Amino acid sequence: TLMLTSLIILTLPIITTLLQNNKTNCFLYITKTAVTYAFAISLIPTLLFIQSNQEAYISNWHWMTIHTLKLSMSFKLDFFSLTFMPIALFITWSIMEFSLWYMHSDPHINRFFKYLLLFLITMLILVSANNLLQLFMGWEGVGIMSFLLISWWHGRTDANTAALQAMLYNRIGDMGFIMMMAWFTIHLNSWEFQQIFLTNPKNTTLPLLGLLLASAGKSAQFGLHPWLPSAMEGPTPVSALLHSSTMVMAGVFTLIRFYPLMENNLTIQTSTLCLGAITTLFTAICALTQNDIKKIIALSTSSQLGLMMVTIGINQPHLAFIHMCTHAFFKAMLFLSSGSIIHNLNNEQDIRKMGGLYKTMPITSTAIIIGSLALTGMPFLTGFYSKDPIIETANMSYINTWALLITLIAVSMTASYSTRIIFFALLGQPRYPPLTQVNENNPYLVNPIKRLILGSIFMGFLISMNTIPHTTPQMTMPPHLKFMALAVTLLGFTVATELNNMTHNLMFKQPSRMHTFSTMLGYYPTTTHRILPYLSLTMSQNLATTIMDSIWLEKMIPKNLTTMQKTAASLVSNQKGLMKLYFLSFLLSITLGLLIAL
Amino acid sequence: MPYIYINIILAFVISLIGTLIYRSHLISSLLCLEGMILSLFTLNALLSLNINFTLSTIVPLILLVFAACEAAVGLALLIIISNTYGLDYVQNLNLLQC
Repeated sequence: TLMLTSLIILTLPIITTLLQNNKTNCFLYITKTAVTYAFAISLIPTLLFIQSNQEAYISNWHWMTIHTLKLSMSFKLDFFSLTFMPIALFITWSIMEFSLWYMHSDPHINRFFKYLLLFLITMLILVSANNLLQLFMGWEGVGIMSFLLISWWHGRTDANTAALQAMLYNRIGDMGFIMMMAWFTIHLNSWEFQQIFLTNPKNTTLPLLGLLLASAGKSAQFGLHPWLPSAMEGPTPVSALLHSSTMVMAGVFTLIRFYPLMENNLTIQTSTLCLGAITTLFTAICALTQNDIKKIIALSTSSQLGLMMVTIGINQPHLAFIHMCTHAFFKAMLFLSSGSIIHNLNNEQDIRKMGGLYKTMPITSTAIIIGSLALTGMPFLTGFYSKDPIIETANMSYINTWALLITLIAVSMTASYSTRIIFFALLGQPRYPPLTQVNENNPYLVNPIKRLILGSIFMGFLISMNTIPHTTPQMTMPPHLKFMALAVTLLGFTVATELNNMTHNLMFKQPSRMHTFSTMLGYYPTTTHRILPYLSLTMSQNLATTIMDSIWLEKMIPKNLTTMQKTAASLVSNQKGLMKLYFLSFLLSITLGLLIAL
Repeated sequence: MPYIYINIILAFVISLIGTLIYRSHLISSLLCLEGMILSLFTLNALLSLNINFTLSTIVPLILLVFAACEAAVGLALLIIISNTYGLDYVQNLNLLQC
């Protein structure tokens, strides 16, 4: 009944694309208002759910039955999807309004909005899917839209390379996803979540490994992470939508969906934990010395994703989900404010060339400060309600100490690089050319940022008050553990402020080794992107030409035979080749024999 | 002993002497080798026909097969020598190099 309203939500944006009147100016506003109405409508099932805690599954269209496998279009509206859909729609609404200002001078802005809308639709399909086939359709859809949107300015080689990188890394993850689907088809004969969770198989290590690989590819965990910093080649609204709030959440979301299976499998939990811990530390280290503001925020996203993986690894999927929802708000806001800075400074993205924006762009600088504080888990802002419980639960649970220490170090680094952004971009004297006009007066710029500021401040409180906790949180712990998160964050803040103030006017003669390690993203892209293709190309070249042609056809029989015979003959014989003498001796002996016999 | 056999054996002996004594060209030795084989073939054929021993009529055929192979090998050797030295003079063959 009223749950069908959520289906209407999905169809509202679709209708807008079907109209396809790209030539008119109204397309943009129609799209934006469609998303706004969709957001308003999606609040209705969410509020109903909050009141009644009644989950629903809608299964309407029977597509086909292959032998014993029944494929149908079914939507699952449980706590996760009902909470995430309004948030995704809200953020997309804000971003569309922002891109009305940001992409204002772009001649293909209608196509841009169409792509953004398609992305939103596929993301909603992914979130509300009840069977793996529908989820896979949403999964591939967001991959394709990410590719199209990253290479928006397709005249630029770096953008094309980055889009290809995103596509390829996603593909490697997709292999894991397909393996998982195949395993479920073979062993459980179904792709529906209910059946999978009911039968609760005992040896789920293989499909869950596939799932882990898929999430590592989609959510940029260590090993499959270089595409996320490179994806900053796309326009800022794209970075804000895809690579901070929604698409990179798809991997973590799928992992959260499978939590009943992961509860029983300790191996997968430990591997998720370790993978998340490595990711969060590595990307935090890399973010410390980057100079491009969007790359710092991208690596910060990657670090928070690692934190979410760590939370899943300690068997707390609901905390991870809440952190996902709150993270979407402040990360999108950080991206939008960085977009505002970039456009206002005439497309300058290097933080070494910004400065002094504290007085000239008050709304943007407020947004950055609030966003950074929320990101680092300042008490009673949004991040506190999600990040602090994660750290507390991690401190009190029976896990790998190394992973815990690494996560804590990464949390303090979060504070450090946020301070770095604030210090370089906002404080101090301006370092950009003085003729650029810094102007924040456009309502399309200001309203989304204001909405997201409100969301960043209040959403954590609202979400945590309105959801029923599925696991009991730890209530008592020693004071030094309780204050651990706050302490490491304060440590990060103070260290970063002191270092920045002290070294502001110094310069390296030659950067130290640690510095280059961090700036070059840990040398990971440089090595893997060159070694892997080189190895496969040389291997195939060797296989095709050397082994086939030269060895098997030429060298193996004919030449080997000649060399063998020659060496044998020259070794064995010790004659001098005086042919005539030898023949004469034959003749002589024959005649002598004949004479004697006769 | 019938005269035919003596005739052919004489041909064989002359070819044999020709094989063993040659002046400068290697190819003359090979030619005399062919002559030996030819005379042997004729001897075998005549013998099996005159004695009416039909089972041995296959012997000349086998001899012919082996003769062909041997001629081929001999010519190959000649060509290799000719490749290295340009001529097939026997005094070239004292180096054990081919």
